[in-house]
Amino acid sequence: MKDILIKVVDMASQKLGAEYAEVRAQRLFKTALTVKERDIEAARQGIESGAALRVLVDGAWGFASVGSLKAEALTDAISVACKMAKTASSSLKTPIKLAPAKSIEDKVINKPRRDPSKISVEDKIGMTTALSNTILGYDKRVKSCTVDYLDTTGTTYFMNSDGTYIEQDKLYVWERVAATANEADIFTFSREEVGSTSGYEVFDVETPEAIGEKVAKRAVEQLKAKPTRGGTFPVVLGPSVLGVFVHEAFGHLAEADLTLSGSVLLNKLGKKIASDVVTFYDDGTIEGAFGSYKYDDEGVPAQKTLLVKDGVVAGLMHSRETAVKFNAELTGNMRAEDFRVEPIIRMRNTYMQPRDRSFEELLEKIKFGYYFKSFRGGQANLDGTFQVGIQEGYEILNGEIGEPVRDASISGNTLETLLKVEAAGKDFELSSGRCGKGQTAFEGDGGPHVRVKEVVVGGSA
Amino acid sequence: MVALKKEEMQSLAEDTVSLALKKGANEAEAFTYQGLTTSVSIERGQIAKSSRVVDQGLGLRTIINRAVGFSYTNILDDKAAIEETVLRGLSAAKASKPDENWHSLAEKKAFSSMEGTYDKKIVQLRAEDLVRVTSVMLDAAGKDKRVFPNEGGAGASYLSAAVANSHGVSGFDDGTVIECGLATIGRQGSEVTSECLEFNIERTYNIDPEWVGREAARLAVSALNAKKVDTKSTSIVLTQFALQQLLAYTLINAVKADFVQRNQSALKGKVGEKVASDMVTIYDDGLLKNGLHTWSFDGEGVPQQKTPIIAKGVLRNFVYDNYTAKKEGKESTGNAARAGYLSTPSVEATNFHLMPGNESPEDLVGEVKEGLLVYYLQGAHSSNPASGEFSVVATPAWKIKNGGIDHAAKGTMLAGNVFQLLKNISALANNERKIGQLVAPWVLVENVKVIGK
Repeated sequence: MKDILIKVVDMASQKLGAEYAEVRAQRLFKTALTVKERDIEAARQGIESGAALRVLVDGAWGFASVGSLKAEALTDAISVACKMAKTASSSLKTPIKLAPAKSIEDKVINKPRRDPSKISVEDKIGMTTALSNTILGYDKRVKSCTVDYLDTTGTTYFMNSDGTYIEQDKLYVWERVAATANEADIFTFSREEVGSTSGYEVFDVETPEAIGEKVAKRAVEQLKAKPTRGGTFPVVLGPSVLGVFVHEAFGHLAEADLTLSGSVLLNKLGKKIASDVVTFYDDGTIEGAFGSYKYDDEGVPAQKTLLVKDGVVAGLMHSRETAVKFNAELTGNMRAEDFRVEPIIRMRNTYMQPRDRSFEELLEKIKFGYYFKSFRGGQANLDGTFQVGIQEGYEILNGEIGEPVRDASISGNTLETLLKVEAAGKDFELSSGRCGKGQTAFEGDGGPHVRVKEVVVGGSA
Repeated sequence: MVALKKEEMQSLAEDTVSLALKKGANEAEAFTYQGLTTSVSIERGQIAKSSRVVDQGLGLRTIINRAVGFSYTNILDDKAAIEETVLRGLSAAKASKPDENWHSLAEKKAFSSMEGTYDKKIVQLRAEDLVRVTSVMLDAAGKDKRVFPNEGGAGASYLSAAVANSHGVSGFDDGTVIECGLATIGRQGSEVTSECLEFNIERTYNIDPEWVGREAARLAVSALNAKKVDTKSTSIVLTQFALQQLLAYTLINAVKADFVQRNQSALKGKVGEKVASDMVTIYDDGLLKNGLHTWSFDGEGVPQQKTPIIAKGVLRNFVYDNYTAKKEGKESTGNAARAGYLSTPSVEATNFHLMPGNESPEDLVGEVKEGLLVYYLQGAHSSNPASGEFSVVATPAWKIKNGGIDHAAKGTMLAGNVFQLLKNISALANNERKIGQLVAPWVLVENVKVIGK
């Protein structure tokens, strides 16, 4: 593989006028399963290979993707990429420049305790159907459940014109579980995700029984939940809700490409934007976490990146292109879903650092408010508005957990909300998820329990 | 890479079906797909990128003793890779359990004919042409310092697919798509608006980049100077963007047969009942002229068709693929969708067509004494898919007062239930457009809970 990649990169820089060239070739193997109720839908197995070629010519990007690893296909594609870049450069005002990166030669081999590619499809079917059996057997008001399972293994071969060559194994296992329950006119919905980069052994901890019971129990308990009263209230957020808030509401604003696009963090470096208890990291180095990897898709080592320290913006997540504009250190945040697409800045494992409060201390001052334990999705915008849907929530009455509420959401302005984070717990939890930014990336997010002085709660009552 | 021709795609599908049968499948179905896309992108105000992506592959369903296996590959020029794909599919089927509801793959039927889905001009477009389209769009966005043309660009795709199965189904279809879009941000002092997106997407070369650029800029400026609105129940006008976001996770799922059969649809058992206002008539129209989801056959080789979903507020039909239809002893409505060669077919709407009314959009707004005009929503994907409850952020949105736009609204949430909202639709405009699966006009809805200050 290496010989072909050398030839292709040399051709771009020596014959086709590329200032920078990279080739990312991949071989990927995937197994996917879907279980609906007790039935397994078609078990799916895929083999994919192809290459992504990215070049900088006359200050503009050119990109080509091709579903082949043959030398001829790759040399064709690199010419196309260079031609595309030249075309794009025709009306360029500000040429693109890249921050210097150390040249690296490395081979990253995964050694999972249980390699998903060596586990039989029968075993994977057994695990996912055990999960659905747990859910459907929990209570007869549970009406449906869907289990999706995916594993990806394979290797990425990366070479660029700065002399970097990296062979890196890829390994992901992921499962998403969703259930609905129904009684009279009430429909409830509950979901969980499990993800890991360490291996199939994650299911020895996140067993089908444990996950199944968690999902089913929530769906059933939500049946007796009352509608949420809309308005502005103090809230305590659980680690998964806080995590999605850190990721969606804050994290995207700190992806340097979006910061440059005019996110509300532009010109906020070094400034206080959050209360003193707020410290955020985006960390690609946590072993086995869903958002971890050794090198990003520009060949840059993944870092543990400090984003906010004690309420002050300390850093952003960078590509080689954005690092130049901010005169910043490289962070290794560039990822591409596969060889069909180009890398973009993505979060890895994004979280808030815990502090010292107990859960009871977080609740105790609240006369009436909400405890939002688990989320159903979230979204944010560059203007700093966010929304997080809640799948499990409770009233807080005089410092104690009260009745469950359903279909709530929180929203507001991210920066205003960050200043209202009053206290943080000493606990910590990281959840696995997927993030969509045109492409899908696997990531982790989390933190401790926190208390927020007030936030807009959307509800139907 | 050279594009695969009709004959190559079809014979690859047919040959793979034969091989699967020879290797022991009871039934087999192959789907070959290719997508060739050229695009030009804007990065922070300037054209800075161009790309060419070629994606081709084959997906295979094999059935052994009513157990289904699926395998795919994008390595098409290597006989050994195809054979390995067949073997992996068979091993997946053998590992699965028999599905008592499995009846058979789709039978052969005459394909439908349609209009306006292929344009030679789009196939011939080069990156240079798309640079021109993008420049026109950027120029039209103007020089107003408050408007930042953040991202966008133009793209042209040629897509083709062939399907074959062991019951004699064999077909080929191809089509084109062209799009251009611009997302702007309004900036003034410390105020930043949310992203304001405008775009055109068409099957034939019928885009207006100048309009897209102008509109994207106008939206950004008008979203500035946003103020909080009061918390109360009011009338709202939903544009197609907002309506698409609300319906995609709720109503559209609720009419899919698999959701209904699995007790995940609030519309189960309601065929023949009133589920929406009298004004509401919806078709799932897989043959809509120029429709983004118009093809002669679906992902299983079943002809696409026009299916009445809601007629004057009364629920008429659900949409089916071959599997869900046979489970009820019915015929597929041609609603099996695929993510190219990478996935098995699943029930999906095609062009979800809410029939327009007679009023101009201005008249629709003119009817509102006090309310909100909502362009986009945030968080619609967190709606309760089973019950239709939603609680979302409306941004950008504008306060309507005495029939006119008063000011941009900020920090505004909408809460309610989609199925109640359908009953509260009181007027439809005549300005239909295509967004995702939805083809619809602006709609006026009464009595929606708005949470502001």
